[in-house]
Amino acid sequence: MGVLGYIMQMQPFSVNDGEGIRTTIFMAGCPLRCKWCSNPEGFSQREIIGWYQRKCIGCGDCVRVCPQGIGINMNIERDRCISCGKCTEVCSQNARTRMVTYMDADDILSDIHKHRLFYAYSGGGITFSGGEATSQPELLDYLTSEIYDMGYSMDIETSGYFDFESVRPSLERMDLIFMDLKHMDPEKHRYYTGVPNDRILENIKNLGTLRSIDRPGHGPDIVIRIPVICGVNDSEDNIRQSAAYVHKVLPEARMELLPYHSFGMIKYEALGIPYDHPEFSAPDKERMDHLKDVIMSEGILIADYR
Amino acid sequence: MAITQRVEKIRQNYVNTKPHISYERAWSWTKSFQRTEGLPHLIRTAQAFYDTCCELSVNIWEGELIVGTSGEYRKCAILTPEFGWLWINDEIDTFPERGQDPYDVTPEQTEFIRKNIFPYWKGKSVEEAFLARTSEATKKIGVDTGFLDTDSKWRNGIGEISADYIDVLLPKGYGGIKAEALRYMEDLNEAIPEDKKKIEFYKSMVLIADGMITLGRRYSEKATEMALNEPDKTRRAELEEISRVCARIPEKAPESFREAIQFVWFVQLGGIIAENPLAWNPGRFDQYMYPYYKKDLEAGLIDRDTALELIECLWLKYSEWAWTISKNTASFFAGYTNFENLTIGGTKVDGSDATNDISYLAIQATRECMTHQPTLSCRIHPDCPPDFMEAVTELVSTGCGFPAIHGDRTGYQMLSNLGYDPRDARDWNNCGCVVPHSRKTFEWTSAASISFAAALEFALNEGRSRLSGEQVSLPEKDPRTFTSMEEIIEAWKKQFRYLVKHGVISLVTAQEIHREIGHRPFMSACNEYCMKNGKDLVDGGAKYNIGPVFTGVGLSVTANSLAVIKKLVFEEKSATLADIIDAIDNNWEGYEELRAKALACPKYGNDDDYVDSIARDLADFFYGEVTGYDDLYGNHFVTAFMGISNYLPTGKVLGATPEGRHAMDPINEGVSPYTGSDTSTCLAALRSAAKMNHDIHSGGTLLNLRLNHDLVATKRGRANLGAMLQSYFALGGFHVQFNTISNEVLKDAQAHPDKYRSLLVRVAGYSAQFTNLSKEMQDSIMARNAHGEF
Repeated sequence: MGVLGYIMQMQPFSVNDGEGIRTTIFMAGCPLRCKWCSNPEGFSQREIIGWYQRKCIGCGDCVRVCPQGIGINMNIERDRCISCGKCTEVCSQNARTRMVTYMDADDILSDIHKHRLFYAYSGGGITFSGGEATSQPELLDYLTSEIYDMGYSMDIETSGYFDFESVRPSLERMDLIFMDLKHMDPEKHRYYTGVPNDRILENIKNLGTLRSIDRPGHGPDIVIRIPVICGVNDSEDNIRQSAAYVHKVLPEARMELLPYHSFGMIKYEALGIPYDHPEFSAPDKERMDHLKDVIMSEGILIADYR
Repeated sequence: MAITQRVEKIRQNYVNTKPHISYERAWSWTKSFQRTEGLPHLIRTAQAFYDTCCELSVNIWEGELIVGTSGEYRKCAILTPEFGWLWINDEIDTFPERGQDPYDVTPEQTEFIRKNIFPYWKGKSVEEAFLARTSEATKKIGVDTGFLDTDSKWRNGIGEISADYIDVLLPKGYGGIKAEALRYMEDLNEAIPEDKKKIEFYKSMVLIADGMITLGRRYSEKATEMALNEPDKTRRAELEEISRVCARIPEKAPESFREAIQFVWFVQLGGIIAENPLAWNPGRFDQYMYPYYKKDLEAGLIDRDTALELIECLWLKYSEWAWTISKNTASFFAGYTNFENLTIGGTKVDGSDATNDISYLAIQATRECMTHQPTLSCRIHPDCPPDFMEAVTELVSTGCGFPAIHGDRTGYQMLSNLGYDPRDARDWNNCGCVVPHSRKTFEWTSAASISFAAALEFALNEGRSRLSGEQVSLPEKDPRTFTSMEEIIEAWKKQFRYLVKHGVISLVTAQEIHREIGHRPFMSACNEYCMKNGKDLVDGGAKYNIGPVFTGVGLSVTANSLAVIKKLVFEEKSATLADIIDAIDNNWEGYEELRAKALACPKYGNDDDYVDSIARDLADFFYGEVTGYDDLYGNHFVTAFMGISNYLPTGKVLGATPEGRHAMDPINEGVSPYTGSDTSTCLAALRSAAKMNHDIHSGGTLLNLRLNHDLVATKRGRANLGAMLQSYFALGGFHVQFNTISNEVLKDAQAHPDKYRSLLVRVAGYSAQFTNLSKEMQDSIMARNAHGEF
C-alpha cells in the first residue's frame, strides 16, 4: 500500500501554470478561507460528492443506489452523505460527481505518465496546486521524489501558509514556485483570508534559502503572485508595498498579477454553499497594466504565463 | 509587406464572383473526337488536347502577371463530357441556384451544350459504360447510396497526380519532352506489336507537347497584341514581359523565378484542360522553386516582395479555376474545392531540413490572399525549425484552416509500407487532402468511400436501410436475438465485407473502362517513368502503381455505438438490445432516458481504451479486408481515413445510431471524434486518434479539431500547439488540421454573408470560403467541439 491523499482534480493540458503543457494536481486541504476562493471543495481533506443541478435530468438513478437514502437534492441532507460515490457511478449526466477523491499516489503517477510526450515537446511537466499542496506534506514528498527521478519539470502554486521545514525537500525539487501574497495589511489579510500574513511574509523570505539539488548555489525560480480583486487589494499602495517587500527579501523573484474571476461560483452551487460577494470584481486591463507598471517601478520583473 | 493593390484587386474579384460554366473546352474536345473516329483512343485524347489548345479562347485579365485560363471567364468551370454527361444534363438547369457550389450558366449555353455536345457522347462516356457493366446488386449498394460510393472514378476525370517538376517538367520544358519522345521513337520498329503500341504513346507525347507549346505562343501573341493597344505605360511594359515569358514558356525550361511560376501555372492549366481533375497537385513547391529564387536573388533580378506578389498571383490562379461537379459530389467536396495540394517543409531526400524562403513565402501568400487554393500542406519533422513551426501555427491561428499539418515520418512510413524506394518515400508530397503521395506514382487516391456506420445499420436491421426499409445488403437475423457482443461484431464484419466486395467490383470495372477509354497522355507526360517505359499511366507506365484507396467514414460513430451496446446491454444489463433497436427505430423519440444513458457511455476521443480499442479493431479489420483484394494491375487495394466532407451525405442516408445520434445527422470524418463527443482535453483527443495505427492506412488519415482562438492568440500558446503537434506525430499520428474561429464570428457570418465573403474555414482536410458552404455544412462546422481549456 503506497501513500494516499485527497485530490480534487488532475487537470491535463494546463498551460498557464508554468512552462509548456502541464498536468496540474489539485490537492485538497487549504488552511485559508479566502472569500473569493474559486475552489471551495479544497477547503478540507475529506471525500466530497457534488451535485450540479444544472446538469441533472432528475432521473433518480442516484437515489436508487444511495445506501443512505439521500434524495436528488443532496444539499439539504448533505450531513448524512458518506461519500461512497455510488451515485457518481450511475449518474449518466455527471451531475453527481466526485469533487474530492482519496487517491493512491501511484495512480496519480500513472495518470501523469500518460502525457509525457506532451511535457517533453513543450518543456512542460507537473504543477502542484490546490486547495493547498503543502497541506499534505507526506504525499507531496512522495510525488515530488518520484517525479524528480523521472526528470519531469515540477512547479508548485501555494498560499505560502505552511510549515516551511516540513516541505523544504519537496520545494527544493521544484523548478518554479508560485507563492501568493494576497495583502500586505495583516488585518485585511485576516479579514479576507481567515489567517494573518506574518507566516506568509516569513515564508517568502525563506524561499531565498532553498537550494536545488541540480543547481548548486541556486534555488528554484520564484514568482510571487497577487490575485487582484477590486476593492480588496488593488490599491496602488498595497501593490507597491508588496513589490517593495519582495524586492527587499527576495530580489531575484518575479511577480505575476492574476485578475479575479468568478468561474468558481458553480462549485458553490454544487456543494450547497451560499456564495454572495457582489463586491468582488475583476480589474480591467488598464488597471492591471497600471499595477504592473507599479511593480516594475519597484525593480521587480513581471512574469506572464498567458 | 502588405498585399499589393494588384493582388487585392484580383482577390476581390475572386471573392465576389460566382464561377461561370464554359463549354469551350468541351466543344473543342467533341469536335476533335468527331474527326478522329477509328484512331486509337490514346491518340484521340492527345489530339483532342492539342486541338483544344489551338482553339480555346486566350484571355489576359486586368492586372494579371501570370496568365492562362481554361475558358472565356475569369472564374471558369469547364465540362468533360467524355467522363460523364448524364448528370450534367440532369442538373445543368439547377446549376445557378443550387445550395452547394452553384455555377452561373446562361440558357443559351445550356441549349448549345444539349444540342451540340451531349448527343455525340451518348453511349460513349465512362459513366455510361460503368452503369452498363454494373450489376443491379452492386448498384443497389454502391451507386449514389451514401453507403458505398465510387462515382468520382466514373463520373469525373481522375486527377490524383503530382506533377514531376523536379525530374521532368522544369528541367526539360515541353520542347525537351517532345524531343525526348521523338528520340525514343527513332529506336522503335512499328512492325513489332509492342513497339507499335509504344510509338502510339510517344506520338501522344508529341501532341501534348505541341499543344502546350501552342498554348504558350498564343498567350505571347495575345499579350503583344494587347500591349500595342494599351495606353497605360506600366501595364504595357507588363504585357510585353508576359509576351516575352510566354514566348519561351512552357516550351523551354524556365530560367528565372518569374518564368518558373508561369511554367507551373501552364502545367496546371494543361492538366485542367485535359481532365478537369480532382487533386492535381503542384507537390513540393518550395523544393523546386527555391533554386530559381536563390539564383535571381543573388543576381539582383528579384527581391522578396516581387517573388511574393508572383506567388500570390499564382495562388489566385489556382483559386479562379472551379471544379465542375454534380450536386451529389458537391455534398462530398463542398466549397469548389479541387484539391490542388501544394506541400512545403519536411526533410530533403538526404534527411536534412527542407524548409527555405519559399516555404515562408507560401505561408505568407496564403495568409494574405486567404484563397481556398492551393490546398496548403506542410510536413513537420522532429527537428522542425522553431521559426517554421511558428509560421505554421501562426497561420493556424488566423482560423483559415491552413495549412494541413502532417508528420514527416508517418508519411514516409506510409509510402515505405507500399514498397517505395526509401529515397522516393522520403520525397513524399501531399495529394488531395491528406494522402501521402509521390510524383512518380499512379494511384486512385480517393476511389471508394465506405461507411462503417452503414455496415452497422445493416447488421442491426437485417440488411435493410433503416430509413427506406429497402433490402440493400445481405440478410441478417432479427437484431433483437443477438446474444453476445461477438455475434454483433461478426454481423458487422459480414456486412462490411459485402460493402468492400462491391467496392472492389466497382473499382475494377472502372479501371477496365479507363484502360479502354480513359487514357491520360497529359498526365503521363508529367511522369518520368511513363516516358521511359513508353506507356500511358492507365497501362501501368508509372514507377509506382498503387491500388485504389478505400476511405473509411463513420469510424467513431460505429465504435461509440458498439461501446454503448457492450456496456448497457451486455455488461450493465440496464437495457436490452430490443430497447436499443426500438429506440433507434423511433429515432430516440420517447426514449430520452435511454438516449441520455447511451450518450454517457465511453466515447472515442477521450483516451478511453474501452471504446478506443473497439475503434482500433474496426480499423485494423478494414485494413485486412481491403488489402486482401488486388486491383486490375495486381496491386493491393489500400485503406485510408481521409474524410473530405463526406460525413454529411453519408449521415443523411442513415437512421439513428445506438450511441445517441439522430437519424440523418452527420457521422464523422477520418479518425476524428464524433462532433461534440471529445469532451476531455485536446490531448486526449489526439491520444485516441493516434491509437489508430496510422502508418498501415497508406492512403492517409485525417483528424480535425477545433481550438478556441484564445489558445493560439499568443506566441507562447502557439509554441504549445507546436508541441502538441510534435507529440501527436511522435505517437504515430499523420495529419491534423485546426479550426480556430469562434462560433460568434461564424454565426455573424451566417447572418451577414456579405461581410464575410473571404472568411476561410477548414471543412475537412481542406478549407473553403465559409459563405460558399450550405447552411447545414456551416451548422456542422459550428457544432464541432472547441477545446477551450488549453
